[in-house]
Amino acid sequence: MPEYGPFEMIAYTGSRVLEDESIVFVGTGLPIIAAMHAQLTHAPSLNMIFEAGSVAAILEQGMPLSVGDTRAFRKACFAKGLCGAFELTQRGYADYAFIGGAQVDMFGNICSTYEGGTYSKPRVRFPGSGGAGAMAANCEKTIAIMALEARRFVPKVEFITSIGFGDGSPEYREKAGVMGSGPYRVITNQALFGFDEKTRRMTLLEVLPGKTAADIQELVSFELIISPDLKDMREPSEEDLALLRNVCDPDGYFLKRKVAK
Amino acid sequence: MTGKAASYVKKVSSLSIDEIKKKEERTFQYWGPTPDEARKAAVAKKKGLHDKRTTIKEAVAKYVKDGINLGIGGFVNTRVPVAIIHEIVRQGARDLTLSFQSNSICCELLAGAMIVNPNHVSIKRVELAWWGYEVIGIAPLLRYLAGNSMIQLDDYTNYGMSARFKAGAMGIPFIPTRDHGGSDMELVNRGRMIECPFTKKNVYLVSACHPDVGIVHVPAADKYGNARIFGALCTCPEIAQAASHTIMTTEQIIPTESIRQYPNLTEIPWVCVDALIEQPFGGYPGAVYGYYWFDMPEFLSFRSICDEFRKTGNKDKLKEWYDKYIFGCETFDDFMATRPYSKIKQLRQMDQGQPIIV
Repeated sequence: MPEYGPFEMIAYTGSRVLEDESIVFVGTGLPIIAAMHAQLTHAPSLNMIFEAGSVAAILEQGMPLSVGDTRAFRKACFAKGLCGAFELTQRGYADYAFIGGAQVDMFGNICSTYEGGTYSKPRVRFPGSGGAGAMAANCEKTIAIMALEARRFVPKVEFITSIGFGDGSPEYREKAGVMGSGPYRVITNQALFGFDEKTRRMTLLEVLPGKTAADIQELVSFELIISPDLKDMREPSEEDLALLRNVCDPDGYFLKRKVAK
Repeated sequence: MTGKAASYVKKVSSLSIDEIKKKEERTFQYWGPTPDEARKAAVAKKKGLHDKRTTIKEAVAKYVKDGINLGIGGFVNTRVPVAIIHEIVRQGARDLTLSFQSNSICCELLAGAMIVNPNHVSIKRVELAWWGYEVIGIAPLLRYLAGNSMIQLDDYTNYGMSARFKAGAMGIPFIPTRDHGGSDMELVNRGRMIECPFTKKNVYLVSACHPDVGIVHVPAADKYGNARIFGALCTCPEIAQAASHTIMTTEQIIPTESIRQYPNLTEIPWVCVDALIEQPFGGYPGAVYGYYWFDMPEFLSFRSICDEFRKTGNKDKLKEWYDKYIFGCETFDDFMATRPYSKIKQLRQMDQGQPIIV
């Protein structure tokens, strides 16, 4: 097997999760790379929405560095503003939300507003919801990319920025007035998670080859459901890595970052 | 179905009860003109096609006052109205309420000015979705001001803020959205969950946002302020139409004949625009589709000065930056003159000639 970095594994796994004939609402960085890779391999009819208002762009000028980057509008089929992008989504035309966050709980609720302190006096204030809260509410399925660390996979998030299944009760999302079906996958470099249909709790679906369910549980501060059909994560081939490194992120903005210790 | 869906009832997050009580104890207020006041401002305007061209200096002096709600156009690093922000910092404005969906340099420039001299520029509160630099990093001055409770924040999603400007632009007092509910934004922001009278299901309402002054930078407009936008519209049409007054900078002035030939391309009509300034590079260091890409090293350099202040509390370098590039310049053209031609040329090339119609 070829050598690959943690972010390359995340991007490759993200690509695998995306189905053809769908629309993915992407955030900056790895989601764009994952969607580009999917388009170049198994999902040629996958299209991207960028929240600044671009739909189905052709990213021939290279990877946009931000979701408002002018390059994200290249040869789009539809180019409006934020209202255009989010209203298509609210109407039901975005299949996947592809977001990140600082903390996630067992029901897929995500915090990206602050860490430590209180809402009025946060220790570290993050930028805020941005599009994430609206994407998690109204794209049909939410995919989150997270770093697999015990301080991020927490029993309680400090602030729900992006709605998951709330307290896990079956009617939570309906009561919240949101439209999407909710959390679908959580992607990390060592494990792929889904959500149990009955309990809506996070479920370990796949592990990095060589890792066990116990290894992953150790990095998660709540009890995971382990899929009875636990699989190894598929590793990227030489061809996949060439696409990721030479076509999707040739400057290594996101794939070559170091994992913070 | 009624009442709250969110974590308050079920205690999903660790948001404290004190924070939740703040919303419950507060009576709702618009943080800027009410819909009636905004309507009056629109009615009072002369509606003829008049030449709106002026200088940024005159426009800011006329419309930007202490205590106003300033609606900032663009999105993160794209088509951000930096030239107008420079002038606001130069002239000073206190107790500002800022409203925007996502922005980087504009709010950091105002925040830095507040840190350098709070008697000259100050931000009181911010209604927003996102304040940061994306790939470049989180915003150090937001972190500083929020961490020290020096500003009040009111959090929405990007759609929430956009929908609020849209409601303002539509002349309606609120708009239903399908987001915020079930997140902690439901518990802290100024929106309300209601039962829809038709579906009998819960739906989240957000109030209209009418800035006193909207500031937008566009690619092209005629002398009356009919504006064309290429690339992302962001929420500029909605902000301009919602605001009591709009100051617009444009990369270039185009003939009215062109506007009348392709009226479908007009995204902001003249009647929403009060002051217009032809200001090439008015969005620098942000990007303007069809004109220039964003200047990453410039963002990095300003951010690192701000981050150094956050870490050390020493404002010398920050003050030096403002003294040199804002207070040491008479106009935004003077500021741009400090940037070498080679850089300008490179940024134009990096746009790679995005197609526009002017």
